[in-house]
Amino acid sequence: MAAVKSSRGALPRFLLPLGILALLTLATLALAITTGSVSISNAELWQVLSGGGEPLHRTLVFELRLPRALSAFGAGGLLAVAGALMQVLLRNPLADPYILGLSGGAAVGALTSMLLGLSAAAVSGSAFIGAMISAVTVFGLAHGTGSWTPTRLLLTGVVIASGWGAAITFMLAVSPSDQLPGMLYWLMGDLAYARSPWPALIVLGLISIIMLPLGRSLNVLARGQMQAAALGVSVRALEWTIYIAASLLTAFAVVTAGSIGFVGLIVPHMLRLVLGNDQRLILPAAALAGGALLTLADTLARTLIAPEQLPAGVITALIGVPTFLYLLHRSR
Amino acid sequence: MVALKTTVAVILSALFAAGSALADICVQDDSGANVCLSKPAQRIIALSPGATELVYAAGGGDQLVAAVSYCDYPEAAKALPRVGSYNRFDQEAILAQKPDLLIAWIEGNPREQLAKLKSLGLTIYYTQLNDFDDVSSSLERLGKLAGSETQAKLAADKFRAGIAELEDRYSQSAPVTVFQQIWSNPLMTVNNEHIISEATRICGGVNVFGNLPNLSARIDNEAVLAADPEAIIAGGMGEENRDWLDEWLRFSGLTAVRRNNLFFIPPSTIQRPTPRLLEGTTLLCQHLETARGRR
Repeated sequence: MAAVKSSRGALPRFLLPLGILALLTLATLALAITTGSVSISNAELWQVLSGGGEPLHRTLVFELRLPRALSAFGAGGLLAVAGALMQVLLRNPLADPYILGLSGGAAVGALTSMLLGLSAAAVSGSAFIGAMISAVTVFGLAHGTGSWTPTRLLLTGVVIASGWGAAITFMLAVSPSDQLPGMLYWLMGDLAYARSPWPALIVLGLISIIMLPLGRSLNVLARGQMQAAALGVSVRALEWTIYIAASLLTAFAVVTAGSIGFVGLIVPHMLRLVLGNDQRLILPAAALAGGALLTLADTLARTLIAPEQLPAGVITALIGVPTFLYLLHRSR
Repeated sequence: MVALKTTVAVILSALFAAGSALADICVQDDSGANVCLSKPAQRIIALSPGATELVYAAGGGDQLVAAVSYCDYPEAAKALPRVGSYNRFDQEAILAQKPDLLIAWIEGNPREQLAKLKSLGLTIYYTQLNDFDDVSSSLERLGKLAGSETQAKLAADKFRAGIAELEDRYSQSAPVTVFQQIWSNPLMTVNNEHIISEATRICGGVNVFGNLPNLSARIDNEAVLAADPEAIIAGGMGEENRDWLDEWLRFSGLTAVRRNNLFFIPPSTIQRPTPRLLEGTTLLCQHLETARGRR
């Protein structure tokens, strides 16, 4: 109950870690707009930012790098917050935003519209529809007629996810070979699909604001349904809220950048190892840290072996695995 | 006199202005869109190996400023700067070249990246070559955009004449049943819609899997044994690697194996829709003629 008792004076205590993460975020965004296969000097960049500069440089910064960096930040933040929420909801450290089959549903939607040769906007739209179908199905089945336990929800989600997995494999097997690379990049997660950063950023902001007042209840729920109910938390309503919020967050992330792995699983754990398990701090910290990690990963993905482009999902794991192992080792 | 001179000058300059406006170069690309340039393209980027070959063959090679990975033909293409691979571009590298024309590939290039480049004001010509006529007409259209119409016309006519000659000579010969293997592990072939099957028809061959529903299809060894083709045509990993064909030797019951009708064709001459199809098709026709001689 430590986290709950120490609630007074918590806000000032949160400011330092959140401030550091905000600076880190700004640093990764700065790196993202200064780095690329065309080198732009600091002086030239300053001209561009103050409204002048070469047209080519303006295009690169405002049309390519900035929207992509903001999309990466939005998608990374969405995934990390969704992961943190799923881990509380399922009380399972292995939970990530995709564990209940949401990315599978989105992938089936996206690949179907790619097979039909539809536009990029239609690919995003059908990914969102697929994600929502999956979320509603899992919710309906797990809810059923009786009670909803985390185990029942988890099992339902995992089975539905396997079903989607089979459907994806089937679609890959029958797709024309010319289309395979595009599909694989989508499945690996890639910011080249990002069109506008605003939906991701707006949803991230809105849901973070909605979830913040629930922080204390989340802390209690993380210790178990019984304790939460005993302490006067309306468990059913809270769990539904978390489920809906996490589903929306994940759906918008997947629509923005395909199914980028790892961020949603590892970022919340990293933050808990360093900052402790207080959801009032973990949720905003996850938004910043997840965003910063994916922004950095995407910058590396498009520059490491330029002009060839890597999918960002590869880099999130390459950066994240050693960092996480170090933190885990240190925490013993 | 002065007035007359001025009048003439005004008329002439008006005519000249009208003339240059009319001189806008417009062609229809394979997506059905009109692609217009005010003057022949000076800085072209080809976004697939096939597009690179077509631009060179159409006489626009000097104006090519960049290409993508695996653009390996002709030799000069290997020296071009790269802007990523055909399925994922480095958009910054493309913009940095300040191209006035991109040659894209409808099926293979990522749509969302092309849409972005288009929104940034770049001119894009989309290619999608499905048959031999598309090869010659693409040469002519690309030649027009690159300002090398004469050379493009020559190349297109040479291709048409070469194919017509093969067709005259072989298409009515005794039919040879053919298995066209385009990949091994998984074993893949093509149906009659594919340009390879058009080449097969011209040579008097019959694709044993021509009626499959999909353009390219994964099949198993058993299907090939059941179809028992008279000849097996395969490419391979690389331009002279016969490994894929040697795998068939263990099925000694196959007619193609008994008669030693396992023929290799360098994949880039038969799988890429470019004027080199004439080379590949010529080779295919000779192989099928050899098969007829072994009956």
